[in-house]
Amino acid sequence: MTKPLISVKDLTVRFKTDEGLVTAVEGVTFDIAPGEVLGLVGESGSGKSVTAKALMLLNPDNAVYDPEGSITLNIGEEQIDVLSLAPKERMVIRGGAVSMIFQEPMASFAPAISIGEQMVEQLLIHSDMNKASAKELSIEMLARVGIPDPAQRFGQYAFEFSGGMRQRAMIAMALSTKPKLLIADEPTTALDVTIQAQVIDLMKNLVSEFHMAILFITHDLGVIAQTVDRVAVMYLGKLIEKGTVRQILRKPGHPYTQGLLHALPRLDDLDAPLTAIKGDIPSPLDRPTGCVFHTRCPVSLGAECQSRIPVYTNTEDGHQVACLLVEKEGAPA
Amino acid sequence: MSEALITTDDLSVHFPLRGNLFGPRPVVRAVEGVTVDIERGSFFGLVGESGSGKTTFGRALLRAAPITRGSATYSDSEVTYDLPSLEGAELKEYRKRAQLIFQDPYAALSPRMTVRDIIAEPLEVMGLTKTRAETDERVRAIAAKCRINLEHLRRFPHAFSGGQRQRISIARALVSEPHFIVADESVAALDVSIQADVLNLLKSIQQDMGLTFLFISHDLSVVAHVCDHVAVMYLGRLVETAPTRELFAGPRHPYTKALLSAIPSLDPDDQGNVVKLEGEIPSPIHPPPGCKFQTRCRFAIDICRKEEPKLGGLGFEHDVACHRWQELLDGPQASVADPA
Amino acid sequence: MADTANTGTANIDVNVDQKRKEAYFTASQGTLIWTRFKKQKAAMVGAGVLVVMILSGFFAPFLTPYDPTIAGRDPDYQNGAPQIPKFWDENGFSLRPFIYTYERTRSIKTNFRWVTKIDKQKRRYVVLFPQGDKYEFLGIISFRTHLFGVDEGKIHIFGTDGTGKDVFSRTLHAINTSLAVGTIGVFIAFVLALMIGGISGYYGGWTDSVLQMGTDSVRTIPVIPLFMALAAFIPDTWSSEQRFFFISLILGFIGWPTLARRVRTHLLTERNQEYVLAAQLCGASAGHIIRRHLLPSFTSYIIVDLIISFPYMVLSETALSFIGLGLKDPVNSLGVMLQAVTSADVLLNYQWYFIPVIFFIILVLAFVFVGDGLRDAADPYADTKK
Repeated sequence: MTKPLISVKDLTVRFKTDEGLVTAVEGVTFDIAPGEVLGLVGESGSGKSVTAKALMLLNPDNAVYDPEGSITLNIGEEQIDVLSLAPKERMVIRGGAVSMIFQEPMASFAPAISIGEQMVEQLLIHSDMNKASAKELSIEMLARVGIPDPAQRFGQYAFEFSGGMRQRAMIAMALSTKPKLLIADEPTTALDVTIQAQVIDLMKNLVSEFHMAILFITHDLGVIAQTVDRVAVMYLGKLIEKGTVRQILRKPGHPYTQGLLHALPRLDDLDAPLTAIKGDIPSPLDRPTGCVFHTRCPVSLGAECQSRIPVYTNTEDGHQVACLLVEKEGAPA
Repeated sequence: MSEALITTDDLSVHFPLRGNLFGPRPVVRAVEGVTVDIERGSFFGLVGESGSGKTTFGRALLRAAPITRGSATYSDSEVTYDLPSLEGAELKEYRKRAQLIFQDPYAALSPRMTVRDIIAEPLEVMGLTKTRAETDERVRAIAAKCRINLEHLRRFPHAFSGGQRQRISIARALVSEPHFIVADESVAALDVSIQADVLNLLKSIQQDMGLTFLFISHDLSVVAHVCDHVAVMYLGRLVETAPTRELFAGPRHPYTKALLSAIPSLDPDDQGNVVKLEGEIPSPIHPPPGCKFQTRCRFAIDICRKEEPKLGGLGFEHDVACHRWQELLDGPQASVADPA
Repeated sequence: MADTANTGTANIDVNVDQKRKEAYFTASQGTLIWTRFKKQKAAMVGAGVLVVMILSGFFAPFLTPYDPTIAGRDPDYQNGAPQIPKFWDENGFSLRPFIYTYERTRSIKTNFRWVTKIDKQKRRYVVLFPQGDKYEFLGIISFRTHLFGVDEGKIHIFGTDGTGKDVFSRTLHAINTSLAVGTIGVFIAFVLALMIGGISGYYGGWTDSVLQMGTDSVRTIPVIPLFMALAAFIPDTWSSEQRFFFISLILGFIGWPTLARRVRTHLLTERNQEYVLAAQLCGASAGHIIRRHLLPSFTSYIIVDLIISFPYMVLSETALSFIGLGLKDPVNSLGVMLQAVTSADVLLNYQWYFIPVIFFIILVLAFVFVGDGLRDAADPYADTKK
């Protein structure tokens, strides 16, 4: 079995705030194999963005990484322990082997520098190309992501691009350094659905062409269904369910995942009611004890769920659920 | 057939831009020639992507955006108003009957007012109650209906989550007992689990208070579940309108078809008949001639580039604005860009 | 529908925590700002100092032993060094603090220069609450009691100036005057800024453009030449009070453009907020919207601006009085007092003339610290976005 490209074990991230130490991510463990697309699903407060940023050490200065956790990047023969990288060594995870695209492409491009210049700058930092070949490669990448007239667009500024095109340019920029792992943080959330379809298509083609792994972060289960190979579901900082996309969407094990799927409006069944998950997502300052979901869980076992933190149960090959009920009954609720 | 609460005829909203010294000023045609009927008691969905003009249309109906051309009429069992010409006292009367629920629950509530004051404000401004006790009673009644914890009325908005704030927003819109509510992307900013909750609340309130909703959204799946009638807009124009089931079972306009197929299916094995839409939406300042969709339509022919199609009836309240809808009924394999 | 389903939270003392949370949820803007302000030590120290100085300025006539004008001067002790009360000297310990007697003599021997002789034998004891020069509070009630004094003669703990006026008395009265001028100036500037900036920001469009042009032109007027021109116009016949108000007025009229611009910017941003649109859709009038939505929204910013303007006003008045264009004797302000320090004689011999400068620096610093602290505390709603 090949080594995973990136291996996250027991990642715990807390933030120092005025109100004390707030836990954003707790005990998160997952692997991404080379060329695999992993979807990280969660709502607000789930900690998915914090997890993604942790992979590139992009969290703000008040973030505290628990020393028990580790993030290991395996590139070729090298093994890099991300959490112990000194500031000067971090370039390899920022734009080098690992690249990131964001939700708001307007906010990610510097407004006063042309797109082309920013792409070239990125290449000059991470490779030993000269300016001319960097420019050539950048124009090639722009064409590859489907931007018409790439040579002309190279010299244009971010505000001259439409939303969809900016996102494509962002992808082009992220891919020009041929990263092994692309982290996509809600890349299609701000886009119209027709543009979203185009961008998802593009990403799927690029995955096979570049043999690159993607960590796809989103709250949209439909996008997940069409794009990823495996899914990890997060709630309030904990990874509560992991599995292949078919396992998670067809036979969800965790009550939260089931609740999410029932709350979704589905086009294939217009008569199905929209069932909400009762209650509200607790504030990170008020994290429940025991199982983080027990306060809203329809099948909670009461005191037990309040006191014991569930561990993973294997319901199928490769399908893991962290739920006490599943642990007892060996099957989804 | 039930009567229409809102009727528009060729409604247009144009925003002039700063021009240069020479030549005519460019104009953004945010809404162009929309003719539609919204029945009393219906949950009417208006969908479109960015630049479709759906938000502007909703606001125009509330007189929060200027109506440049065309007519719009509000008619309930008591009064009838000609919306473009409303002013002064009549406009204030209309405002009691038509309200708006915003998209962003964080920006829609005044951060320095208590929840009780926020919900009470319409009552006070419109002079609907005489004493503080009366106001309090009505505030509590509507808060209970919106499932807001009555003990939280003295709190400030910063104490609440997105879903709770949206409920406060809804309570504020409902406290004056309006007949018509425009819900502008009211669930777009909410998490999925909360979204379902708010949608269920809106439906139950609609039935309880006999309201008419104009539900503006870019999310077709949501619209499919809550609306009974749907209208699709593209670049300010209405391209198709039909009862919900009808629209989703058999969309006629190429744009509607593309929109529906672009929604990612929850079944990983269902690749669907994805009608790929190339290109971007054209500029609303310089729209293409003829049909506005022709720049991205696979089936566009000569006439599409010259003449703008009119909204025509298929019967069963299903209207389409497309020159070739009849031909295309035969299926997507029918003549792509047939130069005939 | 339970939205506080926190049944499983690990809170040791649930009641205490609930109270604090409830307090946070129901806290108004003022309370939130105050809580954040309290956490900043520098700002709290500044606030304390400011309060002390304002109070001492306000109660100056009581706290100081003598009238700061010519009327209260001590002709026997001109340019005199500070007299610090002692408890102990070679003649023994005394529970009551005392100072020495000074005598001024002039004779052939001293070349007819006034020379001060200290008589260490004759003590003069400090007394509390003696009757002294008359003063008035708020122009209505008059008192004669001062905080402290001396049983015979006069006591000058900060020394005296060239005509014998007590520097200590002058200093405290000067703080009062400078603060008063500053307050009036800031008040005038604020009212003008609110009106002009408010109309500009709320209505936008042409009104805004025209008013902004006006504001900018006022701002470009050079201050010193303007004051020189105005100072030339002030008739000598005006009383010191009239002069005082006139100077404050001018300061206010010069100070409003900056404040107006800030008000306008705040309003331009705030009026596009969705909650303003929501109020408009209820049919709320412009007045209602400004009062209930817009004004509270920028109260926090404006308070900061106001506090920060204070030191500028005080500085401006001091500078002007210093060069002789502002207040004049007998009205006492820090600037007027500083006029006297320009000669080399003073620098070399009468260093106590500089004591007011220390007070002045402390006052400005206190304002700055408080303003900074308020600015940091002022936006309690900044972190409520998702």
